[in-house]
Amino acid sequence: MARVELKQVTKAWGDVVAVEPTDLVIENGEFVAVLGPSGCGKSTTLFMLAGIYAPTSGAILFDGHEMNAVEPKDRNIGIVFQSYALYPHMNVRDNIAFPLKFQKLPKSEAIARAEDVARLVHVDELLDRKPSQLSGGQQQRVALARALVKQPNLLLLDEPLSNLDATLRLTMRTEIKALQKRTGITTILVTHDQLEATTMADRIICMSRGRIEQIGTPEDFYSRPASLFVAKFIGSPPLNLVEGTGREGRFQTGGASLRLGSDQGAPPEGGIVAGLRPEMLTFGPEGIAGEIVAIEPMGRETLYILDTDLGGLRVLESRPDRTHTVGQKVHVSFDAAETVLFDAATETRIAGAWVAV
Amino acid sequence: MSPADATHTVAQRDWQAAARRSLWRRRLGMWSLVFFLIVVSLPIMLPYFWMLTISVSARTGGADTIVLWKACAVLVPAVIGVVLTRTMMPPGGQRNLAGLAVIAIAAITGVVLIGPDLHANNYRFLWNPNIVEEIRGSSGAGGDQFPWVWTAFTNSLIFAVANTVVVLTVSTLAGYYISRFAFAGRATFLQSLLVLHAFPAMTLIIPIFLIMHWAGLLDTISGVILVVVTLELPFSIFIMKGFFDAVPWDIEMSAMTDGASRRQAFVQVILPQVKVGMLAVGVFSFLKGWEEYVFVRTLLFEKSNWMMSLYLFWVSDDLMGVDYGIVAAVGVFYVLPSLLLYVTCQKYLVQMTIGGIKG
Ligand SMILES: Nc1ncnc2c1ncn2[C@@H]1O[C@H](COP(=O)(O)OP(=O)(O)OP(=O)(O)O)[C@@H](O)[C@H]1O
Ligand SMILES: [Mg+2]
Repeated sequence: MARVELKQVTKAWGDVVAVEPTDLVIENGEFVAVLGPSGCGKSTTLFMLAGIYAPTSGAILFDGHEMNAVEPKDRNIGIVFQSYALYPHMNVRDNIAFPLKFQKLPKSEAIARAEDVARLVHVDELLDRKPSQLSGGQQQRVALARALVKQPNLLLLDEPLSNLDATLRLTMRTEIKALQKRTGITTILVTHDQLEATTMADRIICMSRGRIEQIGTPEDFYSRPASLFVAKFIGSPPLNLVEGTGREGRFQTGGASLRLGSDQGAPPEGGIVAGLRPEMLTFGPEGIAGEIVAIEPMGRETLYILDTDLGGLRVLESRPDRTHTVGQKVHVSFDAAETVLFDAATETRIAGAWVAV
Repeated sequence: MSPADATHTVAQRDWQAAARRSLWRRRLGMWSLVFFLIVVSLPIMLPYFWMLTISVSARTGGADTIVLWKACAVLVPAVIGVVLTRTMMPPGGQRNLAGLAVIAIAAITGVVLIGPDLHANNYRFLWNPNIVEEIRGSSGAGGDQFPWVWTAFTNSLIFAVANTVVVLTVSTLAGYYISRFAFAGRATFLQSLLVLHAFPAMTLIIPIFLIMHWAGLLDTISGVILVVVTLELPFSIFIMKGFFDAVPWDIEMSAMTDGASRRQAFVQVILPQVKVGMLAVGVFSFLKGWEEYVFVRTLLFEKSNWMMSLYLFWVSDDLMGVDYGIVAAVGVFYVLPSLLLYVTCQKYLVQMTIGGIKG
């Protein structure tokens, strides 16, 4: 088990900077999710931890020991690649047992351990097949088994569930999480599925264009997104964003004016973006006036698309049946404490600030 | 009958007609393909056929074409018969039986018609060390300059195997390196590989002769190996690079995080992915070595250094017109190893496409 530390780590290929200077500490036994859009440097960071890429600068430490010069084979890391990277010429059993080859285990014990792990991820019926005879989801599970079999200090998962069907993904989520808790292996999960990140991980790292935007618990991300980018990325359906200007305690937009305040001193001034979560907006007798232009049933919930004085707004009601109809004139209100405000210029959150009807 | 039913039946009738048409089109296509292949392969097959029949039947020393015609008279109807059973009859036991019957009839007629003419006397060069002298008499030009055929055979074998080993080792390692590592001048290196291959080796023959002379490698087998290997490497490296390019780099990285060293990853994970490429390069360099003539002819003089190609050349040079049977028999003996090698490896070689293997 390992405590992982990154100190001013960067990675660049010529002019292409994949990872900007990054500082990060992952505690022993922690389960961390790295979340971010495609191309933001998630895999690159993972590969630097695994020793596949050497950092351009900075240091990577495991339990306080610098790892930069340590070869991948000596780092005792289990990794599941985005592309699974199974060995095409070996059957599933040999694939899973491959890491044990280098640990001088007796062959029979290696096979036994491989079969145990295979049972764990439900591929024990596929042991004699070649990877080309497996479905994408099965390959992913074999890759997971191979990463787990040597009981690594650090488990790196690069989108390990992206190819599973919805049900299996849900089961695997729970199982990986339980497995991680049981074994206590420090685990880093890369994903661009925010639900996966919030349900599985103790902490989430959100990256954008090679930089860490925010590190925190799922709850932090939901209530206190550090930047406009994080706010847009987390939450489904995404946050309603209303652009406007703050002046003398009023929030002015094109068609409306809201009260503006702050728990920490004077209300903010200048360009402001207000974030209103769809699920915190409620229909009522008063509030912001608008008209329903579309309704999207989402199963357990219903999403209403509104055209209001503040612009387009999404309102989420946690009930499967429709309470309103398209074309209906409505009013929506919200709790000031749940609003988040961002500085339009820096795109960072203004702590303590709020808007109210 | 409702209108809906009517359209249904019309549509069905059309489908049946379409299915019949497609079946006939496929059959017709099959026949014309078979016909085309036979016509095209005849000029290639005939000389080999001639060589084989002459080598086992010529008696007088001249080319006895009568056996050839008799063999043709048996073979051609047999081939047509087999093709007919395969295209006209539905697949199954009956078709196989009919095919076997045709082959059996052909075999029996063959034995009856040509059986008495067959003999192995033309192959006596295999156990008689000085066949040319025996035929032409010791006074014959160059008679006593002939080595035994097994000397030439061993030399050829050494040559071909050494060629294979060196080309395979160097091109595998070089191909891997070029495929995986960036280094200064990589693009230029790749281009020059192709240019080198496009360059006709024949134009180099005089400089090479001089270099070999100065290096003291003239008239040594290792010298010729060096020359042929050098000329063959560019293309082989290029082929192997293509195969390595097709191997995803992440399985290599995966092996290394799984605890393998770079060399272990190469041997246990990467090499198995390119074994078809290695087989192809190996087989082709073996055949290239086995049939090499130009450099063998130019750079080797001593009769103990002769290769099969040289042996065949001198046999035909000395005995053509005197004894076709022996020339043909030497030819058959020379072709046999290539044929054997090709037939055993063919199954794997056909899986090869340029730069990789199919799924
Ligand atoms: N070998 C390389 N050479 C040059 N640029 C690279 C290389 N590998 C990655 N990059 C660049 O670095 C950036 C980060 O890539 P990375 O693979 O880490 O993205 P990612 O976050 O894993 O994306 P995805 O979710 O699509 O897998 C990308 O802009 C990519 O183009
Ligand atoms: Mg990635």
